[in-house]
Amino acid sequence: MDPVSLRKDGLLPAGLILLALTGAILVLGTGPLGVAPGALLAAMIGQGTVEAELAIALRGPRLLAALTCGAALAGAGAGFQILFRNPLAAPDLLGVSSGAGLGAALALLVGAGAALVQGAAFVGGLAAGALALICAAMTRSGDGRLALILCGVVAGALASAGLGLVVVIADPWSQLPSITYWLLGSFTRATLDEAIGALIPVTLGAAVLITLGFRLDILSLGDEQARSLGLPARPLRLLALAAAALMTSSAVAVAGVVGWIGLLAPHAARLIVGEQAGRLVPAAMAMGALFALIIDRLATAFGPAEIPVGLLSAAIGAPAFLALFIAISRRS
Amino acid sequence: MTGMRLEGLVAGRGQEFRLPPLDLTADSGETLALIGPNGAGKTTLLKTLAGLLTPLAGVIVQTGSPAYLPPPGAVFAGFSALHLTALGRARLRRWSQSLTPDDIAAARAALDRLDIGEFADRPFDRLSSGQQQLVLIARMFVQDAPVCLLDEPLALLDPAHAKAVEAAIRTLAGEGRVVIASTHHLPFAARADRVLAIGPEGIDIGPSAHILAPDRIRALFGVELSGCPCCGQGLS
Repeated sequence: MDPVSLRKDGLLPAGLILLALTGAILVLGTGPLGVAPGALLAAMIGQGTVEAELAIALRGPRLLAALTCGAALAGAGAGFQILFRNPLAAPDLLGVSSGAGLGAALALLVGAGAALVQGAAFVGGLAAGALALICAAMTRSGDGRLALILCGVVAGALASAGLGLVVVIADPWSQLPSITYWLLGSFTRATLDEAIGALIPVTLGAAVLITLGFRLDILSLGDEQARSLGLPARPLRLLALAAAALMTSSAVAVAGVVGWIGLLAPHAARLIVGEQAGRLVPAAMAMGALFALIIDRLATAFGPAEIPVGLLSAAIGAPAFLALFIAISRRS
Repeated sequence: MTGMRLEGLVAGRGQEFRLPPLDLTADSGETLALIGPNGAGKTTLLKTLAGLLTPLAGVIVQTGSPAYLPPPGAVFAGFSALHLTALGRARLRRWSQSLTPDDIAAARAALDRLDIGEFADRPFDRLSSGQQQLVLIARMFVQDAPVCLLDEPLALLDPAHAKAVEAAIRTLAGEGRVVIASTHHLPFAARADRVLAIGPEGIDIGPSAHILAPDRIRALFGVELSGCPCCGQGLS
């Protein structure tokens, strides 16, 4: 490959990331508290108007949460799709989303505060993912991908059963609405602390996936090929899965169960940057951030009552996924 | 350059399947064909030599790590043939986030060498079995392993691609690697330096003329053959 196209390789994901950030600035410019991009930049260096600072203080955390969660779900989704060589792999493959839902519902059931709910969701998601990984490690089937998928289904089903139980025993007037609302997903409740609390583990997970880079491509070839190319396949795959589960847990803990981003964004990114993991993971994260940003903007666009993000992302994500699938299948 | 030495190597899978002990010294530059009926243990032996299965007994003495290639059609990848070839250099990039331009250049040179440079930027999954096999052998060139183990490298291939793959295998050996390839294509075995036959009676090693003699082939496969079982070509 000549140097020009090598540079282009890095440029595409970088361009997408820039697009997502520009989108964030534009979104802040709209709505009742809209601030022009110039005033926004001035506020960021401490020279802004009161309106601009107010907009950042009120809408900034929510925006940060949307960007972080969108990027996290899409990055994890891309990781799972690469590792399992399965275009339908999504961030909740290991039962992480259901586990996080159960954790949050339990915390809401005992009347915990927002921070504790986020923490419980995070722990619940990681516990479900860990359960799936440990069960899969106990099997001895081939290169282990089928075992992982099956164990993920089992962990998810267990968590869903627990969640159902919580819903049944929750008080229908005081507790059930908050549990239902939490499960439908929203970026509204994110404070700056919560957004940063998600940003740190998401950055960690993303750093692992991006550092693995071309090794993810090798892992996608299967254990035998990976080992024959000199890679410690099992530990590296475990590391990648743990990173993806960490990203998913952090996102679900802040936003609730927001589906489709993790499935849709990697496919959209793949259309633009191709299949190589080194480019696909960052590009998918940028697409996911952009998608979450748009969804969140739409959630508040129709009057004072907010539409839950989880509903919107499915309502937009599902047909978008279908359109993308038709576009991809016609191209080949 | 050194080759590969096996001392009392017993390949197998658990308790239910064991091959007889194998002693073998292969010199660098040597091509060995591995023949035997289905289920005899050719793949088990190759995977054991590749380090993918643990030997039940005995030792494998070699420098460096071997390269292993499954039969055609067993590798799936949506990215380009060029990238797949460059991944052969992963061992050199243990502490690096990405492959380097050198790796890409080496991969491109290897593809050009096998006359498949035009496929470099195509998705690997879109290539034919024969083209894929040549790409994977190109990866063996950049992987630069002292021992190359190929499982049925000629299976599924048309005569022209089989010829190109056989020529590529010869080049691998010609550069000083040990090449061990399993096959049912007996003319290929006849052109190898030595033949290893895994049969019900045990493992036979010797020059091809000796191992491929009609009575031995009859004993090995249990059928009368006037030529190659897969294509009918004569064996001499």
